[in-house]
Amino acid sequence: MSDCNCEQPLVPHIVEVIDIVEETPDVKSFYVKSAGGGLPYQVMPGQCSMLSLPVGEGMFSCTWQEGQEYQQYAIKRVGLLTEELHQIEVGQKLGLRGPYGNGFPIAASRGKDMLFIAGGIGLAPLRSFIKHCFKNRSDYGKITIIYGSRSYNDLCFKKELFEEWPNQPDTEVHVTIDNPEEAWKGHVGFVPAYVEELAPDPAGKVSVTCGPPIMIKFALQSLQKLGFEDEQIVTTLEMRMKCGIGKCGRCNIGSQYICLDGPVFDLTQLKQLPQEW
Amino acid sequence: MKILAKDKVAELLEKIAQQAEVYVPMAIEQGSGFYPWTEDNKNQPLLLDALNVYNSPKYILFPQTERMYDLKQQGQDLSIDQTHEDSSPRVIFGVRACDARALRSLDDVFLTRGFEDSFYKARRDNVTVIGNACYAPGANCFCEAMGVDLTEPEADVILRDAGNDGYIWESKTETGDKLTRAVAEFLNDKETKAPEAKSFQTQVDYDGVAEKLKGMFEHPLWEKMAEPCVNCGACTYICPSCHCFDIQVKMWGDSGYRFRCWDSCMYAEYSAEAGGGNPRPSGVERFRNRFLHKLEFFSERYGYSLCTGCGRCTIVCPAGVRITDIIKAIKEVDSSVGL
Ligand SMILES: Cc1cc2nc3c(=O)[nH]c(=O)nc-3n(C[C@H](O)[C@H](O)[C@H](O)COP(=O)(O)OP(=O)(O)OC[C@H]3O[C@@H](n4cnc5c(N)ncnc54)[C@H](O)[C@@H]3O)c2cc1C
Ligand code: SF4
Ligand code: SF4
Ligand code: FES
Repeated sequence: MSDCNCEQPLVPHIVEVIDIVEETPDVKSFYVKSAGGGLPYQVMPGQCSMLSLPVGEGMFSCTWQEGQEYQQYAIKRVGLLTEELHQIEVGQKLGLRGPYGNGFPIAASRGKDMLFIAGGIGLAPLRSFIKHCFKNRSDYGKITIIYGSRSYNDLCFKKELFEEWPNQPDTEVHVTIDNPEEAWKGHVGFVPAYVEELAPDPAGKVSVTCGPPIMIKFALQSLQKLGFEDEQIVTTLEMRMKCGIGKCGRCNIGSQYICLDGPVFDLTQLKQLPQEW
Repeated sequence: MKILAKDKVAELLEKIAQQAEVYVPMAIEQGSGFYPWTEDNKNQPLLLDALNVYNSPKYILFPQTERMYDLKQQGQDLSIDQTHEDSSPRVIFGVRACDARALRSLDDVFLTRGFEDSFYKARRDNVTVIGNACYAPGANCFCEAMGVDLTEPEADVILRDAGNDGYIWESKTETGDKLTRAVAEFLNDKETKAPEAKSFQTQVDYDGVAEKLKGMFEHPLWEKMAEPCVNCGACTYICPSCHCFDIQVKMWGDSGYRFRCWDSCMYAEYSAEAGGGNPRPSGVERFRNRFLHKLEFFSERYGYSLCTGCGRCTIVCPAGVRITDIIKAIKEVDSSVGL
């Protein structure tokens, strides 16, 4: 089923874009299947792939669920490759290699209440874990999602955020934007402050945080303030990547390579690494 | 024991060269390094007596630039026509113990931990390494301190210079046995003795340094040690075990190829991130990362130091940075000072 190119891990295989959805002014979702048809490979929530056009390769978190014949990537326009990706149309062929990284602690979180904290495009990786929880609803307790973006327009996956997820059983969704807007009736303020305000009870919970580095730093502090233990605090790290397989040396923090040993770490693990993230 | 007479070396290389690309330590113009034994190069001086050549054999397994695969784009179509794994047979002749150890660390990086790098593997699987044992370490050598046995290069065949008697030829692996059979006509049987190894001129004590460094990430020593460094990256390019690379593309219109090339953690662009952030923003952090990778991180991951003690970085550094001084300073400093 999976035709992961394990024999030649640095050589992509070719996939075709079958749908493109504009999520926000600078985020688009790309749905891809193998150029020959079918799923490129299976992925665990939190794992990533290297997507490429001739201009370059980039690491992106992959969303896929069992039974789906395609993968999804939500990609923010920030530079050379992502700019070109935002220009392409359905039918475009791309290079794809993976899956890379360890993924979220799905098994270890079973039976726990889940607290998901995301900022901006950081909802993309978390979303695969969130979807997994909903699909296996009875494996997880209460689900709390706290998500924020710069503005209403910058909120990703609005349909799920406002229509689908809040209607799931035993689920709370809290959304915030950085600055007030006329039409916005919801919460205003940064994510970490909102977390402290909502003050979720740490008992029986696993928290998973994903977003820009600065948000992660403050959100982790907020969680510690609220009494979360190190092993209840899970996050993802991001660094520039080239190989994705722990060889090119680029993404190390101490002796760990984020591409291979991460990108998901809990605070117990992070505390053993040099503070270079 | 098998002996290779010194006046037979050229003939032996000639014979091997019929089956494989042969690389030997030579001096060419101002440089020295491992060069292919070709018609053009044959009359250049062989450097089997010299301790270590300037350029290590790293590039033979891990070329400075390596074409990976060809790309073609036509309209919305994208294809990868050809990959360039290179499995030509190669023999590297006269590798010193430090450089042989560096090959082992490249093996550990490229061939273990979940993924085998197919470009490296194609070359590695088809290379035979002939080591050249050292008995008189040079002024900058400190391999022994880094856990390398200078008289036992990790190679398929070991040569031991027994003076006028020639080289003792010791096969160590099946690959070595195969080569030995192929060149049997140049080897004769004779009893002789390898010399006693002389002691090291550079004395360093690396014992416990990796462990001590664990708590020294924030130590003020780094700032002091990095001070002269201009982040030129010369030390990383010359190092036989530095393995970092970049992946880049070369396109002419619709077709081209993706390649990788050596990169250096000493450069800011190496770890620059979106929005101008960089986890290692200044030269100090990059300097610290390089030397911690050599002296601590790699051994945490793979069980031995990534510095083989070859001394090359000391020779090339324009700023006088000496890794041996760094080891000494770490060894001596109070690891809790300033923390
Ligand atoms: C594990 C992981 C998962 C990721 N998941 C997603 C995702 O789901 N969606 C998404 O939109 N983005 C994701 N990213 C970020 C994405 O990889 C980069 O934004 C992208 O590679 C930038 O490519 P570019 O060619 O457009 O930018 P470039 O033109 O290369 O660069 C623009 C800027 O981005 C920096 N940059 C390049 N690569 C990275 C990188 N890997 N991380 C951080 N900065 C980088 C450059 O230094 C430069 O400052 C992820 C990154 C990692 C490491
Ligand atoms: S760090 Fe310096 S001495 Fe150590 S292996 Fe590299 S070049 Fe040689
Ligand atoms: S060669 Fe010397 S100056 Fe150049 S990067 Fe290395 S330590 Fe710094
Ligand atoms: S991206 Fe190459 S080591 Fe992580």
